[in-house]
Amino acid sequence: MTPVNDYLRRLAAAAHDGWNRFWFTPADPATLSLIRLAAGAMLFYTHLVWTLDLEAFYGPHSWVGPAAATTVLRDPDGTGYTWSHFWLIQDTAVLWAAHLAALVVFAMFMLGWFTRLTSVLAYLLAVAYIHRVPGALFGLDQINAMLAMYLMLGPSGAAWSLDRLWAARRAGRPLPPAEPSVSANLAIRLIQLHMCVIYFYAALSKMHGGPTTWWSGEAIWYAIANLEYQSWDITWLARWPLSIALITQVTLYWELSFCVLVWPRLARPLMLVMAVPVHLGIALCMGMITFGLVMLIGCLSFVPPDLVRRLLRFPSDRRAGQAHSDPGSGVRSATACPPLADRRVGTEKQ
Amino acid sequence: MGAQTKPASSRSAGQLDAWHRWGPARRAVVSGLLLAHLLAIQVGPRSPSILSDVMRQFYRPYLDAAYLDHGYKFFAPEPGPSHLIRYELEFADGSRLEGRLPDRARHWPRLLYHRHFMLSEFMPQFGDQVWDPRLPWQEQLFSPAQQTYIRSYASHLLEEHDARRVTLYLVQHRVPDPAEVLGGLALDDPSLYRTRPMGSFERQRR
Repeated sequence: MTPVNDYLRRLAAAAHDGWNRFWFTPADPATLSLIRLAAGAMLFYTHLVWTLDLEAFYGPHSWVGPAAATTVLRDPDGTGYTWSHFWLIQDTAVLWAAHLAALVVFAMFMLGWFTRLTSVLAYLLAVAYIHRVPGALFGLDQINAMLAMYLMLGPSGAAWSLDRLWAARRAGRPLPPAEPSVSANLAIRLIQLHMCVIYFYAALSKMHGGPTTWWSGEAIWYAIANLEYQSWDITWLARWPLSIALITQVTLYWELSFCVLVWPRLARPLMLVMAVPVHLGIALCMGMITFGLVMLIGCLSFVPPDLVRRLLRFPSDRRAGQAHSDPGSGVRSATACPPLADRRVGTEKQ
Repeated sequence: MGAQTKPASSRSAGQLDAWHRWGPARRAVVSGLLLAHLLAIQVGPRSPSILSDVMRQFYRPYLDAAYLDHGYKFFAPEPGPSHLIRYELEFADGSRLEGRLPDRARHWPRLLYHRHFMLSEFMPQFGDQVWDPRLPWQEQLFSPAQQTYIRSYASHLLEEHDARRVTLYLVQHRVPDPAEVLGGLALDDPSLYRTRPMGSFERQRR
């Protein structure tokens, strides 16, 4: 066998094994369930706020009428693939009924009640709301829909849910932590990779089209001094141009390197800790609390499930854990599953 | 760093079992779907190239239907100025009312304010904008798509307020430099604003 053939054979074997390990190793659904709780709360709040001006955005005389929306959603020849049941609703009573029903679905999804069904409905409804109002959308809607899409693929109601409480009630005893599952891993991996794509292209677009203020270190100033965004005046930073340059360029390089440095076990906590000031800064200084928080919810996908369980362990979980600690029972405890970040060593990617 | 990927033969049976919980056929099908999806989410923030155009044509039904066609250009390439909409309503009895999008006094909580802010920020984002370099910003014409949106906003305001006529203006608010702020210029100084008329619209009789 020539060295080239040998190399190609080893490359193919490593790619095959790495792919399978990355995607198809069963994972504890704890992290996914925590994301369901947080993203479900964000979906509920996002749509609850529509209630305050529902008819102005979704009614027959809305800000964005059918002709306006068509210019954005359809090609000149009429081709387009967006959809929304709101286009069919012309009566305000029906609109309110549909909206209240949607709020019930989002609340059920947040609480993990009939999660398999409500997770699918929550995604479809989130996209339906979005497709009706092109022009009133921003990053929050993109991340909301992305999280809802992946949450419906895995067992996102397997922990911290009414489904779980109900199952324990029917069994008449505390239940052991949910079994690790491949679909939980798939959902978490998809959220992780999508977050990497978001940060990578967010950074790339900041460097696109010649020298930008992101490149020259001034961009953060133009964000914090924008009166329409501003919720906390920190324009006193004008006296400290070095700090403006530092914040701008650290943000840019953090976004750019996230897709690489979030995978090594040692670098991951640093990258996630950095996400907190970046996104809370957006939330507190630029008035985009929902967007800042939903990005942090996406970053939760990188938190190992065993850490999630340690942080969110209720007394009932401890009792259940003790009741099911019999090594001969054949039931693998979810906390016994190696955490995502600890499964391999060195610079291997999760 | 050590060997990153050991040959399968050297792994424990437990590890192999973990990966092989799903059979090869199921893994192959899911892998194909994963690859297709991972390619799709790269198409949204595409660069303008022939390859991207071809991929976008292929993926467009999926991207549109699933709401995945995004550039993720958060404050890029520049944070830039803000755009607001100012409107003047005239009623049948001759009275007048002025308003603006967004309005912190009226639009609360912050998310609702942001929804209204996005309506005005959306105006400069159309791809079909016409730009005449001989004209100042205030006199530039709006593209057909922008005009459709302007008519929609006007129609909404006329219906909401039961007004006879509405006149709209696009207001651009420049962000001052740090040196200007240190020199005493306020963030809402009138010199930082410029206005472009969007048109006057009358309510159509039913």
